[in-house]
Formats: sequence, C-alpha cells, structure tokens
Amino acid sequence: MKLPRFSRKTLCIPYAVFLVFFVVLPMLVIFFYAFTDENLHPSFGAFIKFFSDPTKLSTIVYSLVIALITTILCLLIAYPVAYILARSKMKKKFIILMLFVLPMWINFVLRVNAIRELFNLLASLKGMGWLASANYFKTVFGMVYDFLPFMILPLYTTMLKIDNSLYEASADLGASAATTFFRVTVPLSMPGIMSGVTMVFLPSMTNYVVSDMLGNAKVTIIGKFISDYFGNDWHMGSMIALVLLVVVFLSTWLSGGFKSEENVRGTSL
Amino acid sequence: MKHRIFSIGLAALILFPTVSMLGGCGKASEIVLRVYNWEEYIDEGGEGTFIYDELHELDEDGEPVLENGKHVHIESDIVDDAYKAWYAREMGKELSPEGPRVLDDFCLWYERTHGQKIRVEYSTFGTNEDMYNEIKLGNEYDLLCPSDYMIMKLAAEGRLEKYDDGRDENGDPDGSYNFFDPEVPENYYVRNVSPFIAEKFENNAGLEISNDEAGHPILWKDYAAGYMWGTTGFVYNPEAKDAQGEPVDVEGLLEELGWKVFTDNTFRNKITAKDNVRDTYFAGLGLRYQDDLLALRDELSANAITQEEYTRSITEIFNATDDETITEVEPVLRDIKKNIHSFETDTGKSDMVKGTIWLNYAWSGDAVYALDLAESGETEDGEEEEAMLLNYYVPKAGTNLWFDGWVMPKGVSARGTKEAAEAFVNFLSMPQNAMRNSYYIGYTSVISGEEQEMLGYADYLYGEEEGTEDTMEYDLSYFFGGEASILADIEQATCRQLYAQFPTPDVISHCAVMDYFKKDESERINELWSRIKAETLDAWAIIVIVVAVLAIALSVVFVKFGDKIDLFRAKPKKGYRLIKQEDPNRL
Repeated sequence: MKLPRFSRKTLCIPYAVFLVFFVVLPMLVIFFYAFTDENLHPSFGAFIKFFSDPTKLSTIVYSLVIALITTILCLLIAYPVAYILARSKMKKKFIILMLFVLPMWINFVLRVNAIRELFNLLASLKGMGWLASANYFKTVFGMVYDFLPFMILPLYTTMLKIDNSLYEASADLGASAATTFFRVTVPLSMPGIMSGVTMVFLPSMTNYVVSDMLGNAKVTIIGKFISDYFGNDWHMGSMIALVLLVVVFLSTWLSGGFKSEENVRGTSL
Repeated sequence: MKHRIFSIGLAALILFPTVSMLGGCGKASEIVLRVYNWEEYIDEGGEGTFIYDELHELDEDGEPVLENGKHVHIESDIVDDAYKAWYAREMGKELSPEGPRVLDDFCLWYERTHGQKIRVEYSTFGTNEDMYNEIKLGNEYDLLCPSDYMIMKLAAEGRLEKYDDGRDENGDPDGSYNFFDPEVPENYYVRNVSPFIAEKFENNAGLEISNDEAGHPILWKDYAAGYMWGTTGFVYNPEAKDAQGEPVDVEGLLEELGWKVFTDNTFRNKITAKDNVRDTYFAGLGLRYQDDLLALRDELSANAITQEEYTRSITEIFNATDDETITEVEPVLRDIKKNIHSFETDTGKSDMVKGTIWLNYAWSGDAVYALDLAESGETEDGEEEEAMLLNYYVPKAGTNLWFDGWVMPKGVSARGTKEAAEAFVNFLSMPQNAMRNSYYIGYTSVISGEEQEMLGYADYLYGEEEGTEDTMEYDLSYFFGGEASILADIEQATCRQLYAQFPTPDVISHCAVMDYFKKDESERINELWSRIKAETLDAWAIIVIVVAVLAIALSVVFVKFGDKIDLFRAKPKKGYRLIKQEDPNRL
C-alpha cells in the first residue's frame, strides 16, 4: 500500500486548529471579559479600578520581587552545579544531574506538602519558633526548590556545548581561570541563563500553590488574586490576567526570548 | 484534497474530548439526572459508611460495636436487623456488606417505584462560587446543593425553579403533584424534615425577604429542600502544651475571650482562620462587636428582650457591610492575620491532629470529622498516630447558622427531569438514607424523621445506658418538635461530637444566618478581602517602583534598538534628510 503523502500545509492543519481553540480563543475571551462590565457592555471599569487600587499594584510589585529573588537564588545555586557537571571529567555525572532532576518526577503538590510538614516540624523545635511566621522565607524556599531543575537543565545543556578548544585557546593566550570564566564561559552560556531565567521567573510570579501551602495563605501573589477574583468577578480576574500577560510579554521581549533560533543554541528543554 | 480531509479529521480527533463533553448522550428510555454536589458530600460506599462500619462489626453476641469499643443495644428501627429488613424492602435486594453507594441505591429504588430506568450523572464542586460560575456558563444540571446564601443569590437572579406545589400559575390548586403535601406517601422530604428546619426555610431564617419579578416574595422553601446544616465554631485541643511544656487552658481562654481568641497573644501561630471572605469576615464582626453581642445575650437571658428581637439584632450585626462597619472591621482582620497560623480551607483538620495548631475555626461537620479522626488515632492518609481527644466550642457571643439545600436550576421542567429530581430529594430524605449520608460525611442532616427516627440514630451514636455515671439528659426537642432527648455522656453533651453535630438549644438560640452580599456589597467586601490578604505599599513606593521599572525598560529598549528607532536619533539639520542606517550585520 502506498503511504499517503502530506504537504507541509496539510500537516499543519491539526496544529492550527489546536492553537485557535486552545490558545487564541481563550486569550480573546480574557480580553473580552477584561474590557466589559457585568452586562457585557464595553467598559474600562476593571482597567481603571485595577490601576487605581494600590493593593493590586502592590501585589504585582510583591510578585515581581518574589519572582526576582527566586530567580537570582536559583541562578546562584544552579550555575556552579551546571558548570561543575559540564566541565568535570566525572564518569557518573549523569547520576548527579539525575539527582537534581529526580524530584520533578514526583507530584509537585506532594513535594510542597512534604516541605510544609518539614517546616512545621522544624518550627516546633526549640529556638526555631520564628520559622512558623516566616511566610515569605518559606514561600521563596519552596519556589527555589521547585524551580531549580528548570534552571539547571538549560544551563547544563548550553555549557556542555561550549567547545573545549575555546578554553584551551583562552589558556594559551595567557588568560587566568577567572578571566576565562568571565570572558568565555559566562558570555557563551548566556542563552542558557536566559532560558533558565524565563522558565523560573514567569511561573514563580503565579505559582500560588506554594504561597498558599508554605506561606500559609498569608502571602498573596498575583496568581492567587486571579483565582480569587474568578470566584465572583470575572472582569477584574480577566483584567489582572491580562496585565500579567503584558508584564510577562514585556519581560520576555526584553530578555530576548523572541529572538530567532540562530542566536540561541541548545537551550530549549 | 483527501489529505486535507484527513488532517481535518485529525484536528477533530484532538477536539473530540471537548466536544463529547458538551454533548452528553443517553438512551431514550433512560432518564439522566445530573446532580452537582459538594465534594465528599454523599455516602459513596465502602469503608467509612454506616453499613460497612456499623452493621457488620458485631461482637460474639451478635451485637453492634462502636469504633471506640462501646457496646450498644438500642431498640430502634434504624439500626441492625430492622435496618436490613428496611433495606431489603425498599431496594428489593439484600444489603451487601461492603456498603453500597447511595446513588446506586437511588437508581435501584427509582426503577422499582417509578418503573423507569435512571442514571445519575454525579459531579462535585469545591466552593459555592465554582458552582455558581458553572451555572452562569450555562452548564445544565438538574439538582444543585448550594449553601444558604448562594440559594438566595441564585433565586434572586431568577436562576432557580420552584418545587411543585400542586398549583397553577394563579396559585389555585390544580390537582397536580405537590412536593409539599404530607399526605402523599412518597413525599419523604416534607414528612421527615425537622420542624426547626422547616420553620427556618419558611421565613428565610429571619433575613430580609426580597421579591421576584412578579412581586412574589422569594422564600427558601419554594426553591430549596434542606440537606445538611450546622454551625461554625472552634475545634480545640484541651491538652495543648506551650513551648515550655506547660499546659495551656484553651477551654478557659475560649470561655473568657470568645471571638477574641483570634487576636490573643497566647494563640499566636496556634489558630487558623478560613481562607474565604465570608467566614473570616463573620469572625471579624464577632470580634469587633463582641461586647454588643454579649450585652444582647445578657438582655435575652434577663428576658429584657424577646428571642425574636435578639435574633433580629444579632442577625443585623453579623450582616453589616456598610462602609463604617468595614472601616471598623478592617484593622481587626489585620490583627487576625498577624496572629493566626494560616488561612486554610482543608489543612486545618490535619494540622489539628498533628498538634501544629491548638485552635481551628471550623464548620461543625468538619469538626465532627476532625474529632473522629483524632480519636481514632489516624491521620487523613491512614497513618497511625497517637489517639487524642479534641473538643468543639461555639462562642457565647453568637455564631453562624448555615444550611445546604437542594435546588433545581431553570430548565429542569423543560428537560423533563423535575420529577426525578424531586424523587432524588425525597429518597435522600428517608431517615435511613439521611442517616447514611450524615454518618459518612459528619454533617447533620435536616431530617428528623416522622417518628423521630433520627433521634434513634443520635442515641445509637452518642447515647448511654440508664444508670451510667457522668451522664445527663440531652434535650433536642427544638429539632424534633416534641419531647425528645437522649441520655448522653457529659463530655459528649458539652464539648464533643454530639455537641457539634446536634447543637444545644442554647447554641441555636444564639445563632445568626448570613445573607448573600448584594452586588455593591460584594465589591466592597472583595476589596476589603484583597487588602487583608495582600500587602499594600505606600503610594510613593509604588510610584518610585513603577518609574524605576519604566526607566529600566526604556534604557534596555534604548540600548537594544537605539540605533534603529528614529525617535532616539537626533533630528537632522534643516536641509538634510534622515537616511536609514544599514543593518550592520549585513556588512
């Protein structure tokens, strides 16, 4: 039997249909609700209310700061790990990498719950009572723990691809280890940093499961607001979602996330 | 062309799950009843059911044994052999030991009594608001089980259909089916419902009654048939020890402070509030106006005001949402947030059992569940723990009385499922079934039973035999409408499961029902809630940050694209023309 041959165009139809129904249409719905009132008449009510409410703006700021701290911590932890793993001549380094990635195989809610219990246990020890009300600390801890693999993996894959001859050349030309690191490794691992940052920064602005469970729901990030408002005011909920979308878009654009493939090497997971 | 069709087929395949969900199919001869209920809010069979736990744990003499090892033998037609006989008669088959699901039994029963096959499409929701959104989106259900305030909201918005009252449009009897006629033998709901509940449903529990479009008053009883009810209060650990190992007199402090435990320093990080605005706002009101509420209570006990006046006054206090009240309550809620361990919806039970917290603001049914769990020495996941006794307390200043009830959304008549929906409510209202559900979920059924059957159930669970020490008469006449009491252990009667599940007349007379928030109220309360939950920065801080962010963004844009955007390039002198710079990468 002759196999049917498809042109590229026809093969694209399922994807196009999928994108229309599950990406474009939902976005349009959000946009529609953000700019209508409860009678579905066009309205800037939610827009004005959002930007005149210091609480919502503050929450955006808080979420940004929490996400920023999470990202920086993840980067600080992940970079050395990825560097050592990529550069070392260890035979079984795959196992170490696996150990970092392994938690991702376990359900996220279970892991967060486990950390919650650990913190509760720690807080009941003598002299650790402060932990019970250190909600921001616990939230950031949980986020760093949760998103660390997303930082390590892209960094590791980019660093693996750095040609060893570049290091040799650098040493040949008399550069110290530090100079080599800052003038060869860091610039060449930039695409990995960028994709790691995007993958950590964006979800940690909205991952309110962590702030609810570890922050005891006393830490509120913007994702929680969206969920709360969708309980009784879709228009405000959509507006917040839209604002978040704009923030995400801007930060992706500024970090070069939309650059075409040629400049970004081996960074996608 | 063939390929294109194939691709479209493939696309359809991707969409298929969505489409098939929208469709829903059923055989013509089979009625499909779509029931939308709270999670874990009906007897789902197996372990933990009345039938599995109670009817099959017999001691060597063949008598039922309770989990705590207590032997009971009570002449009641609701337990043991009589129950089995009743089951065989109603369902037409022997009772199976593994504990059948109530839903399956309903289908069996419906087919036997109505001669038609039925299938129940059962789905669950987590909050009233989720349910409301589903309805608003146009999802079709035949029966919903919202709470009191949501019933009022749905009814006021004209989204509900009334139960059949045997009358035509003009209100004259027309001989059709009447759900409320106690003479009809199948009308189990109206025949078995507690007179206490029936009275609350007739006057909307003392709340303001609004009118529908035609000018008729909107009464709960027209739209809703009760299912479960209860109070809110505190689950507490009477043997709590502080960091130094010294015992804390939680009970004494509760008695002394009432709602103020939320802000008391002793309970710092040892108490939880609910992560929803209604319950926590209620607590805030109780805290802020505790003195007024207690004064009213004293007046009532001194007979200076009648029960009606008292209830009206506290209902007013607990339903205040004007700007002034919100301004008063806001700092209180802030203090609560500072003092509590967490806002929670379902972690409170396990935190209580694990000893992380001493006090958990809880609904009575959840309280019963937590008390049972702690007593059994197991965690929710079935791990072994040390057995402990927890208690339940209701603040003296008054608390929230709430109901969940079955309502039918608009369109059930048109779909022809109204009869089945009403039959479902009636089936659940048979005392034996009410007992099964109540046993399984821990909440209190609105059913008292024509012959006070549910008193037998309460007695079965909590009763003591005549002559046992430390017992007292536990009066439940208000609920059963007529002389009704059981002999109960003093602990049970004052602070444990019995007290939580069947509140005393004293608790009941100091309760208020909470209305739904009308549109503008809802907005104000939501804003309040978001201010409480989130941090608010000073205006200048926001401005500084926004300016800084904009500056950074602009400078990045400038650095990246400065040479490509005309706006950033100096204007050419007069007489010169601006020439687009070539892309340096091309060179």
